Amino acid sequence: MKAHQADRFATIMLWIGSLAIVAILIAFLTLILGRGLPHLTSEFFNGPDGVRGQLFNSFYILFLSLVLSLPVGLGAGIYMAEYAPKNKFTDLIRLSTESLASVPSIVFGLFGMIVFVNMFGLGFTILGGSATLALLNLPILVRVTEESLRAVPRSYREASLALGATMWQTLRKVILPTALPGLITGITLVAGRALGETAILIFTAGMNVSRIPFDVNPLAAGETLAVHLFAVKSNPLPGTNADQIADGTAALLIIMVIVFNICLTLPSRWLQRRQLGRNKV
Amino acid sequence: MDKIVVNKLDLFYGDQQALNNIGIAMKERSVTALIGPSGCGKSTFLRTLNRMQDLIPSVKIMGQVKIDGQDIYAAGTDVVLLRKKVGMVFQNPNPFPKSVFENVAYGPRIHGETDKKKLSEIVETSLKDAALWNEVKDRLHESALGLSGGQQQRLCIARLLAVGPEILLMDEPTSALDPISTMKIEELISELKDKYTIIIVTHNMHQASRVSDRTAFFLSGDLIEEDVTSVLFTRPAKKKTEDYISGRFG
Amino acid sequence: MPTRQKFDHELEELRVNILEMGNLVNQQIALAVSSLINQNLELANSIVVKDLDLNDLQAIIEEKCILLIATQQPFARDLRKLVAGFKISIYLERMGDLSVDLAKVTIRIGQDELIKPLVDIPRMSALVQEMINIGLKAYVDEDCGAAAEMALMDDEIDKIYSGVFGELRTIMMEDPNKVTQANYLLFASRFLERLGDYCTNIAEEIVYICNGKRMDLNE
Repeated sequence: MKAHQADRFATIMLWIGSLAIVAILIAFLTLILGRGLPHLTSEFFNGPDGVRGQLFNSFYILFLSLVLSLPVGLGAGIYMAEYAPKNKFTDLIRLSTESLASVPSIVFGLFGMIVFVNMFGLGFTILGGSATLALLNLPILVRVTEESLRAVPRSYREASLALGATMWQTLRKVILPTALPGLITGITLVAGRALGETAILIFTAGMNVSRIPFDVNPLAAGETLAVHLFAVKSNPLPGTNADQIADGTAALLIIMVIVFNICLTLPSRWLQRRQLGRNKV
Repeated sequence: MDKIVVNKLDLFYGDQQALNNIGIAMKERSVTALIGPSGCGKSTFLRTLNRMQDLIPSVKIMGQVKIDGQDIYAAGTDVVLLRKKVGMVFQNPNPFPKSVFENVAYGPRIHGETDKKKLSEIVETSLKDAALWNEVKDRLHESALGLSGGQQQRLCIARLLAVGPEILLMDEPTSALDPISTMKIEELISELKDKYTIIIVTHNMHQASRVSDRTAFFLSGDLIEEDVTSVLFTRPAKKKTEDYISGRFG
Repeated sequence: MPTRQKFDHELEELRVNILEMGNLVNQQIALAVSSLINQNLELANSIVVKDLDLNDLQAIIEEKCILLIATQQPFARDLRKLVAGFKISIYLERMGDLSVDLAKVTIRIGQDELIKPLVDIPRMSALVQEMINIGLKAYVDEDCGAAAEMALMDDEIDKIYSGVFGELRTIMMEDPNKVTQANYLLFASRFLERLGDYCTNIAEEIVYICNGKRMDLNE
């Protein structure tokens, strides 16, 4: 009977835990969105203190950092999962990526500032910011890629190779499509981090916005929304309604992240379904 | 005619010898069963025949494996072509997470077939040859993972037949299946025998006795005895074989 | 670790049943021939009754063999033991029937005076019983050599049988009044000759258990 009671107790505790998560999320969304949504007017975007530039920069930096980090991260992850022999050296690589993944982002920011801003003499630029963000995300990408590929059953590989497929065909036609959900999750994680990152960007991309709307010059300084939120809150400009701008920015950030996740998840679901065929079990 | 001739085959995992001076010949269009306790080397041996064993690092293979008179371990052997000719069915059904159609079309596609009509034909014949067509013809574009275990295994056989092999290696193909599915696969094996040379590893001695023409008994890396199945199971020549097949091992 | 102890135990039980049956058959033959020599009708009748036991025993053995083949799915020597055991039990059951036939000869002749002193029939019977004894021992020991040797004794029986046949034919031709009893005696010796053949069949089964080879020991 004791075991039975313990079981019920554990079930209830776990249930309460999950409920708490949902409750926190709802509270969080209602608070932030409730305070911020009313400020999301056209003026908020296009006015003299509008965040149109920051919004654009956020996505632009995200895009550039993904362009820089995805090929390398995916490539390295695939290599580690499929091709790398198991020896001391690859163990060392794995250890290094894991250590890098846990380095505080502000340290990366400092590193980016030293390298891109000072050594290369670029000053605060979108390019420098993106490159540093890419560095921050690289270890995570490598790890996520490796893990998702490793999660693909060995039997798929064997089946494919036994049919006379090459390693590359097997990778392209079987392993990567199967690992896709995992990879998408990894990319979403990385993208979320990029959208929310401040420490790195303050040091590398600066806190200024180009006056030209939708300025794609990567050598311009580029304040993102998250940085903007930080700036407005920590150092309110006189004569502006800093609190309102901050609330609006926060709400906007959340909406961005949600929209972005949906944009990535839905096509991947669709792609998987097409791969799998109609799944009527 | 002998399709496969193995001569003085030794295989090592690192320093550990897993196959010891194996010599055996397998006739065209016949079923050979490999039996023996776990770890006796029968699966290892099976995997040397399509060079799947090469995938494991630190494996060292010596001796000859001739298929149609060609040593498959000779330098310059095209492993891709070899595996097209020598297909393999695994212990657990392992269809790809794709549709039934795409599973069967996979092999022809990677070997360069792009013509849609031709692919459909190949898929249909292969599924028919694997005795699965009637069960899946209305759900070709549904996920293969929705099929039952036995159907999945027959799908794997169809997928294999689609690349046009001559030899089928089966590594305990029914050990994960229920008795009815097992019987269907066994029935299929005896039909496929008319066209293919089949080598099957099985833990189930009754399966070996039912499906095979010849049976080979492996024990700790040695080929102990190989004979006509009916002889091996009623009056084996070696004491070790007798002990194993009558369940009085050790 | 020894495996299949239960199965081994059941095989042993089967062997005990077959031995029991063999001994009973041996006894039936001895009694049948004795009843014939002594013209003991009571004894002859008891043999007919006793045969029912043999039939029961055969049914038990048959059931056991089928059950063990179905449940234990034997291979190699185990399979041979069961198949041979099954056949031996059938041969023994037929031998039982033949001893009943012998006893019936006693009953047919009844109290009529014997046309000749019975010499060859007891000799044949002794040979048959010796074959059964050797055979049962060879079966227990799974002794291929003893079985083959035992089969050779059948030649002796056949030789005596052709002697008896000639002798009785002469009697029948000389005196038509003796035809009926001579015929009965001819049947009796024929039954004993058949018993010898069944012993040879059993020897063949023992050889099959030993080495899985089918050989014709009747040649």
